[in-house]
Amino acid sequence: MIPSFNYKIPKTLQEACDLLWEAGGKAKIIAGGTDLVIGLRNGVHKPNYLIDITKIEELRRIDEKDGKVSIGAAVTHSEIASSPVVKKYGKVLSDAAAEIGSPQIRNLGTIGGNIINASPAADTIPPLMVLNAIGRVMSKKGERDVPLFQLFKGPYETNLKPHEILAQVKFQKLSFSMKSSFIRVARRGAMAIARMSVVIILQMEDGEDWIKDIRVSVGAITPTHFCRHWCDYRLWPSSGKPEDISPRSCRTMPRCRTMPQRMSEAEAVLKGKLIDEELLRKASIKVSEAMIHRSGVRPSTSYKAPMIEALFMMALREALEEQP
Amino acid sequence: MSQVGKEIPKVDALEKVLGEAKFGADLYVKEPLHLKVVRSVKPHARIVKIELDEALRVSGAERIFTAKDIPGSNLIGAVIKDQPVLALDRVRCIGDPVALVAAKTVEAAEEAAKKVVVVYKDLPFIKHPEEGLKPHAPLIHEKGNLLLEFHITKGDVQRGFKESEIIIEETYTTGFVKQAYLEPDAGIAYMDEERRITVVCPTQKIHYDQMEVASVLSLPLEKVRIIQCTTGGAFGGRLDITVQCLLALAAFHLKRPVRIVYSQEEVFQATSKRHPFKIRYKSGAKRDGTLTAVEVDILVDTGAYASLAPPVAVRSAIHATGPYQIPHVKVRSRTTYTNNPWAGAMRGFGVPQIAFAHESQMDILAHALKLDPIDIRLRNALRIGSETTTGQILKASAGIGETLRKVEEWRDREVIPKTNLKKPYIKKGIGIGSIWYGIGNKLSPNPSTAQIEIDPNGGVRLFTGAADIGQGSDTVLLQVASEPLGFSPDEVQLIHADTALNTDAGLTAASRQTYMSGNAILNAIEMLKHDILKEASRLLRAEEKDFFFDHGEVRQRSNSSASISVKEVAKRCGRVLRGEGIFDLEYIKLDPKTGQGSPYETYAFATHLAEVEVNTKTGMVKVNRLVASHDVGKAINPKNVIGQIAGGAVMGIGFALMEEFIPGKTTSFVNYLIPTSKDIPELIPILIEDEEPTGPFGAKGVAELPLIASAPAIINAIADAIGKRIYHLPANLEHIMEVIQKSI
Repeated sequence: MIPSFNYKIPKTLQEACDLLWEAGGKAKIIAGGTDLVIGLRNGVHKPNYLIDITKIEELRRIDEKDGKVSIGAAVTHSEIASSPVVKKYGKVLSDAAAEIGSPQIRNLGTIGGNIINASPAADTIPPLMVLNAIGRVMSKKGERDVPLFQLFKGPYETNLKPHEILAQVKFQKLSFSMKSSFIRVARRGAMAIARMSVVIILQMEDGEDWIKDIRVSVGAITPTHFCRHWCDYRLWPSSGKPEDISPRSCRTMPRCRTMPQRMSEAEAVLKGKLIDEELLRKASIKVSEAMIHRSGVRPSTSYKAPMIEALFMMALREALEEQP
Repeated sequence: MSQVGKEIPKVDALEKVLGEAKFGADLYVKEPLHLKVVRSVKPHARIVKIELDEALRVSGAERIFTAKDIPGSNLIGAVIKDQPVLALDRVRCIGDPVALVAAKTVEAAEEAAKKVVVVYKDLPFIKHPEEGLKPHAPLIHEKGNLLLEFHITKGDVQRGFKESEIIIEETYTTGFVKQAYLEPDAGIAYMDEERRITVVCPTQKIHYDQMEVASVLSLPLEKVRIIQCTTGGAFGGRLDITVQCLLALAAFHLKRPVRIVYSQEEVFQATSKRHPFKIRYKSGAKRDGTLTAVEVDILVDTGAYASLAPPVAVRSAIHATGPYQIPHVKVRSRTTYTNNPWAGAMRGFGVPQIAFAHESQMDILAHALKLDPIDIRLRNALRIGSETTTGQILKASAGIGETLRKVEEWRDREVIPKTNLKKPYIKKGIGIGSIWYGIGNKLSPNPSTAQIEIDPNGGVRLFTGAADIGQGSDTVLLQVASEPLGFSPDEVQLIHADTALNTDAGLTAASRQTYMSGNAILNAIEMLKHDILKEASRLLRAEEKDFFFDHGEVRQRSNSSASISVKEVAKRCGRVLRGEGIFDLEYIKLDPKTGQGSPYETYAFATHLAEVEVNTKTGMVKVNRLVASHDVGKAINPKNVIGQIAGGAVMGIGFALMEEFIPGKTTSFVNYLIPTSKDIPELIPILIEDEEPTGPFGAKGVAELPLIASAPAIINAIADAIGKRIYHLPANLEHIMEVIQKSI
C-alpha cells in the first residue's frame, strides 16, 4: 500500500524549483515513475510531496544547437528510441533506450528518471558516459552543469541536493566518421534488467587501421536488483521483511558501489594503436581487470569476467564493421 | 459432425477482451472487512507466543484470528492432511500463515499485520532432501521425513543390463518452478441468502474446496458454497487451498463479508510450486539402439507439506521410461519433507522433470551409438500392443510413432548450418523431445458428473462443476454437449462451477476435463435422449424405437414427413426434460511391490523439435523454431488445442532456460523471469488425430503435454549446438557458460 502524499504538477521549471525548495527535502520528483512507484510501494521512499515534471514543456524536448544535442529530463525512452536526431548523432543512446523494459515502460519512463534513479544497470547511463554527456542541474538558487560521471555518489545515490532538479542532458554530436556499437545481455528478450552491457564509440584514422579515439563504457557490472539493499540473500534481516533491510546489512558494500563508468584503462591501451587481434585481446583483459578492480571478486565473477571480455570484443568488431 | 472439430471462439473471449470478466480481485461485495495474513519468517521454528495487543490497537483493526479460532480441523491437504490453515505451535517453512487480521481498510489490515508480534524459537531446518533422510535428521512431521516410497519392477533389470551393449548413467536435477499465473490469489466470502458460508475465488476444483472449508469450520457440506470466479490461470497452483479457508474462517466468525487480495510477493511465497527433482538414470541398450533396461531413482523435494507430492512421485515413476517399450525396468521414487517452501501440482505433474532425464538419455545413447535421434526413438516407441512400464498393454490410440514421423519430415526438409561464418561464436542445433502422458487416471476415484436439460420454453442448460481456468473447458464442453442433439453452442446456457448448482466434476487437472467431463456430458445426453424419445413417442403415437435424432429434430423412420424438434417436445409435454450423467473409470490399485497395473485409461503423446542458437560467449539461447507434433485423439476445437500447445511450449521454454524459484531469494515477477513475447519462437503445431475409442468423439487430452515436450527438445538442441550436455535446469546464462567452459 502506498502512503498518501501531495501530488503537484508544475507547468514550468521555475514552479518546479519553487515547489522543491518549499518542500525542504520532503519531496520526490516523479518523471514517469517506473522506478519511483516501486520504491513508494515497498517503503523505500516516503515523500510528503510528489512533483510531477512531465507536464513541463521545456523538459520534454529534444533539441540540437551549436553542435550539441540536448534532451529534456522528461523525454521518454520511446521518444528517444524513435528520435531521428538522437539516432543520427548518438545512436548508442537510442539503441539503449529501445531495449528498456517493454513498450509500456518505454512510454512512461524518462531519461531523467533513469539517470537519477542511478541504478548500476540503468540502460541509458553507459551510452551517456561514452557520449561525455553533461547534466544541467537547476534549483531556486541557480543552475550548474555537471559531467554525468560526477553526478553519481554510488548505486541509487546522486550528488544532487534535495532542492535540485536534473533538467536536461546534452552531448556533443558524434561526427559521421565515428562508429559505435551497443550490446546488451539479459535473461530474456524483453522486460529484463541488463545482465551486462557494453557501449563503444570509435574513431579510426581516415582510411586506416589506427584507432584515433575510443570510448568504452560497461553497464550492470555490479549487482543491481538485490544490491539495492543486499548482496546476498543470506543477509536477509531476521524479520524477513524487505523493509527492514538496510544498506548497512550489505556485507560487500564498499565493493559494490560502482556505477557505470568509462573503461579508461582499456581506452588507454587502444588509443593511437594499430588494431590487431593481439591488441583487442589485451584491451579486453584490461576491461575485465577493471571490472574486478571496481566490483570486487563476487560469486558471479567467474561468469562475468570472461563474458565482459567477449562482449567487449564483439562490440568492438561490430563498431569496426559499422558502415558510416 | 457439425460442432466437434469446429474452431468456434472461446465462449469467454469477448468478456475478457472487453475487460468485463471479474477476476478474484475485481469481485465486489458491500462493506467488506479486509484480510491480511501474518506469515512465518522462519524456515522451522516453535511459536513461543503471539502478541496481538498492539496490532488490535491499530485504528480500523477489527479482529485477529489464530489457530485457536478454528472451530473444526486445522489441517488441510489434498492427499494427506498435514498443513495447518493457521500455524498452531510451529512453523515449517517461510510463508506459513500464523495469524489472520481483519480490518476496515486494506491499510489498517496491513498496518495491524505488521504489528503482530510472533516470538519464535528456532528449530534446526532441512534444506536438501538427502539431509532429511539421514538417520538423526530433525523431524518435520511426526511420521518421519520420508513421505512416500514407490517402486516399479518389470522384468529383471540386472539381466537387462547384462544383455545391453552400452550403458549410460547420469544424474539430473531441477529446481522449484512457480506456476506464474498472472492473477494474484484473491476472493470474497459472505453469507448467502440461504445462510451458507460462500466463498468466491479463482480455483481449479470447487467441490474439493467445499470439503476442506466445511471440515475447517466443522459445518455440514451443504452449509458451505464455493463459486469459481473468472480464473486468471492456475497451471496446478490452484489445486491446493489458497485463500478459501482464510476467507471462510473470517466470514464465519465476523458474520459479515470479507475480502482478501494477495500481493504478488505473497503469491510467490505462499502458494505451491513444482517439485525439485534429483534423478539418477541408468539406461542400457543394444548397439542398434534397442533399449534393454532402465533403472531410475527419483528423489522429490515436497518442501514443508505433502500437498500432491505422493501422486506426483507416482506419476513421474510410471512415466520414467518415456514413451518407449523396455523389457526390464526398475524405478524407485521417493518424496521427502524439507523446510523449503511446499511444492504441489504444476502443469505436467512430475513428468516434465523425468522427461528432461529420459530424453537426455535417449540423445546420449543416440550420440554414443552414432544413431539418428529420431531413429532410436522410433525403434523403441510404444505402439498398439506394446507393454508399458507398468505392464499395461496399449489397445488403441498410440500415436507416438506418427508424431515422430511427422517431425522427421519437417526436420529433413532443410539442413540448418551449424555455425554462422560471420559470427563463429553463435552455434546452432536441433533437438527432439518425445513424451507421453496418461489420461483418465484410475488410481483414485475421480468421477465427473453433468446434467443437461431442456425446458418448455426452449431453454437448454448444461450443468457442469468443471472449473474453466482459461484453458477452454467451457467452450469444449459446450461443443461436446451441442453435437449429439444438433444445437449450436450459443443456444446452450452453461451453468458451471458453483457448488450450490453443480455436482462434482472433479479437478480441472491431469488434462482430464475434456475426457472425463466430456464423457459425463455424453452420458447425460444419452439419458436426455431417452426422456425425449419417451415423450416423442407419446406425442406422435409411435413406438420409441421408430424414432431417430437428426439435427435437433426427432424423426420417424416409418414416416419421413413426421418429425418434431427436440425443443417442441419439451414445449408440448410441458415439463423439463433432463438427463444426468456420470463418468468414472474402474478404480485399480497398482501392485504394491512391483507397481504393475493399468493406471490410466489411455495415453496422449507428443514429439517436439526445437531449433536453437547458442551464443557461446554470453550463454544466451534463442529458440528459433518449435515443431510441436501432438497425438490428441481428436481435437474438439483445433484452434483451442493449438492455443494450448503454444502456451505449453512457451512455458517449456521458461522451464528449460530461465525459470527457477530460489527459496529466500526469489520474491516475485521482478526476479522470477518467464518468457515474454520476444522470447517466443516460430511455432509449427501438428495435430495427429489417432482417435481414442473411450474418449468423447475420440478425444484424449492435451493441456500438460506441450510443456513436457518442449523443454527436453530445447535442451537436446543446446547439446547438439555446443557439443556438451546440460544436467541441471534451468539452463540459464551462467549455467550454459559453466557447461561450455568445462574442459570435458
